[in-house]
Amino acid sequence: MNDKLYSFILHKKHHAYRREVTEDFAAAYAAAGTPFAERMTARFEKLMAMQEPHILEGEQIVLLRTTGKPSDVLTEQEWAAYRAEHGYVHELGYTSNLCGDYARIIAMGLDALRAQTDDYGKREIDAILDLCDRYRSEAERVGRDDVAAVLTNVPRKGATTLREALQFFRILHFALWLEGCYHNTVGRFDQYMYPYFAGDLAAGRLTEAEAESLIEDFFLSFNKDSDLYPGVQQGDNGQSMVLGGCNAAGEDCFNALSAICLRASKKLLMIDPKINLRVSKKTPIEVYRLGSELTKAGLGFPQYSNDDVVIPALEAMGYAHEDACNYVVAACWEFIIPGCGYDIVNAGALNFPAVVNKTVATKLADAASFEAFMDEVDTAVKAEATAMTAMKSAAPFLPSPLMDMLIPERRYRNFGFHGTGIASAADALAAIKVHVFDKKNVTPARLLAGLDNDFATDPELLHLLRYEAPKMGCDDDEVDALAVRLLDDYADGLAGHKNAYGGIYRAGTGTAMYYLWHAAEVGATADGRRKGEPFGTNFSPNLFAKIDGPVSVIRSFTKPHTDRVCNGGPLTLEFASSMFNAPDSIDKLAELVRFFVQKGGHQMQLNAVNADKMKAAQADPEQYAQLVVRIWGWSAYFVELDKEYQDHVIARQEYTV
Amino acid sequence: MITGHIFDIKEFSVNDGPGVRTTVFFKGCPLRCIWCHNPEGLEPGRGILLRQKGCLHCGRCQQKCDHPDCIGLGRCLHACPMGLVEEIGRVWDADTLAKRLLRDADLFESSGGGVTLSGGEPLLQHEFAAALLERLPVHKAIETSGFATGAVFEKILALVDYVMLDIKLIDKDAHRRYTGVDNAPILENFARLRQSGKPYLIRVPLIPGITDTEENLRKIATVVGDSPVELLPYNRMAGAKYPSVGKTFTDLITQEKNNEIDLSLFQNATLRRDAH
Repeated sequence: MNDKLYSFILHKKHHAYRREVTEDFAAAYAAAGTPFAERMTARFEKLMAMQEPHILEGEQIVLLRTTGKPSDVLTEQEWAAYRAEHGYVHELGYTSNLCGDYARIIAMGLDALRAQTDDYGKREIDAILDLCDRYRSEAERVGRDDVAAVLTNVPRKGATTLREALQFFRILHFALWLEGCYHNTVGRFDQYMYPYFAGDLAAGRLTEAEAESLIEDFFLSFNKDSDLYPGVQQGDNGQSMVLGGCNAAGEDCFNALSAICLRASKKLLMIDPKINLRVSKKTPIEVYRLGSELTKAGLGFPQYSNDDVVIPALEAMGYAHEDACNYVVAACWEFIIPGCGYDIVNAGALNFPAVVNKTVATKLADAASFEAFMDEVDTAVKAEATAMTAMKSAAPFLPSPLMDMLIPERRYRNFGFHGTGIASAADALAAIKVHVFDKKNVTPARLLAGLDNDFATDPELLHLLRYEAPKMGCDDDEVDALAVRLLDDYADGLAGHKNAYGGIYRAGTGTAMYYLWHAAEVGATADGRRKGEPFGTNFSPNLFAKIDGPVSVIRSFTKPHTDRVCNGGPLTLEFASSMFNAPDSIDKLAELVRFFVQKGGHQMQLNAVNADKMKAAQADPEQYAQLVVRIWGWSAYFVELDKEYQDHVIARQEYTV
Repeated sequence: MITGHIFDIKEFSVNDGPGVRTTVFFKGCPLRCIWCHNPEGLEPGRGILLRQKGCLHCGRCQQKCDHPDCIGLGRCLHACPMGLVEEIGRVWDADTLAKRLLRDADLFESSGGGVTLSGGEPLLQHEFAAALLERLPVHKAIETSGFATGAVFEKILALVDYVMLDIKLIDKDAHRRYTGVDNAPILENFARLRQSGKPYLIRVPLIPGITDTEENLRKIATVVGDSPVELLPYNRMAGAKYPSVGKTFTDLITQEKNNEIDLSLFQNATLRRDAH
């Protein structure tokens, strides 16, 4: 890796090249009544024309954004009208959270693509070619013949070498962001880049070491402009890269390039690209070791997903075998198909604890038995899930001529939902079972009163619910079975319903930011959670559950039929970073991850955390500018987060060793 | 059925032997090492952990109660809204504990791991330890101070596959001063261990100015010869749990940091990376 370039990017020196975009695009377009597709294209042309070529010293992969955040293409009034017209507008309204078929375009070149596309596409391609030509001239001017040579071939023609292919990807990705698409994922990078890598090696154009250096340089490019990308928090930008996994024939495809990517990520210690590793029963232990090395680096990835569960689950949802085998993850963990998936995988979330609370309030007093009460809970969860299917359609994303070229066919148009607080909900039900029905030491009236006033007058009740009831994460069937049931209910409630595009509704186990949002909406809960306390992130135990360790957690969280709630959402395990001081900790962690996969878990994410360091970083942010933490489906620089997210990371369960 | 008092079970304990292991902490220890970082494991029998941080001083835990399990503990276990009053561990019978541990036999098998007995001092409950070990058809390890009769030590030694034995101080008086007991039985048991042919590891806790002196380490090196040795740096958080168990951490450790350690004093030693 080029240390000078790394330091340059790390210290954000390239931001000096940025100029503000002062033009009010939306106002002009609104005044002229410009159609949306024209707006997207015209703004793209303008922004591309505004880019100034800068080739940083030593960089092999060029393109740097030199404009700040541009103004919107719709005015606020237009957005309001648009939202009113469509009912559901997904997030910002721009095309997001998809994975294009980069490979096809990188192989064919923009000249060939141009011939196939419509006028908007042609204009965008011309804008891209113009910028690349200006970069080539700049390269010649500053004596970077190597860069000029690459840009002579790509993006006009298909790539013939790894470097050309990487440069081509950078151009496409850069253009997507600039056009206004966001959460632009990377896909199965090690698979579609492998032919170029192998070709270079075979022809003697590149050694493995040179390829690794090139990949490092390329990885840096994800961090050049990422502060300009939209997200809930800085770092939530969706630059997810998927490595490994099976092909349609069921063969494991982890290759030399996959390993290089894992090593490059570890070396860079930057939050992008976010590494996902597809594994299965066939995955050799060495791959888990490489992954564990990366976990040790403290970046909060790789995130693992299990092909043995995910592929059949996707097929059961209606995805064709070849497509299912080609799955990648969206911005966080949602499973999507590159090149033909047009799903909205984060269209909402079911708040499990809220449903349980409501059922407690309305049905508990009259329930003759716990089983009778659970019947009511089943009904309520299913009804809540079914109610979510009222969302039949979504406003179309604002047009994206670029994404249309990357996703030429919209084969899948399903909607996916998250599920928040599953452990909190299961724990609440278990506490009700134990105390209201089995021991009968809590009456429904007492429970309701306690929930209503946040246990203010009944702290003993809080103690019973919080500390003297089974908790999910302890491999205790009494409570785990309730989580299984709740998730089955969720899947049942969505099953059979179709959206306006003929797509289905996918239940999931992720939370995204709902672990804070939903928690804020729910008062005290029967698991002994006080009002205002957050839920765990994603698929993980209650923050206050007392747990023997990660093996019990894995056993608990592999019980649910995750193949039925396979929108995505990882079991999240936190380890004290000091665990990695043990000399063979990598081997042990690798065994633990493999165990999770063998147990049939669908997705897992492991974090190495150091609470002391995070507290120190809160006190002295400047000293800890590079401290990385995992938030929900993405990693971030700790000091760039809002305090509520910082505090949650600190509070999360640590399986300290 | 024979029962034992266990104060903690910890899965995925990466410092307690080979492979993925679960460690069982036996309550009660005959030693009183001033640096002990698990004070909740020192006293045999029942006891409570009374954490201070977050205490509302509401007094609920001190009100009279009629819970059978609170009798004799001086506090009510079921009253603290903050969950700060807790019984230290619990009593297990050998069958139930073995079953709990063997739940993960598949993971132990695939990772080359197993179960580790620790403490406290597991040899203090040697009958229960033996009963438990006999019920565990997996790799078994023990972490011990070695402070037991030769008969007890040999009985347990025969039942385990791997031993991690602490040797702290060679000087008799210093050992008595800082650990409360004579080191003769420990050194005798070390000799038994060495003769047994069982794989083992000698562990030396490096306590600043006390055990980490060149003189002491040199003496240990002479005694252990070519035995594999792991030196454990002092953790400044060692005293953290003392207030919770109503104890006061020693003020005899006056030196804040470990001395520079010369590994070449030993024939075969490694230094564990500091936890902090």
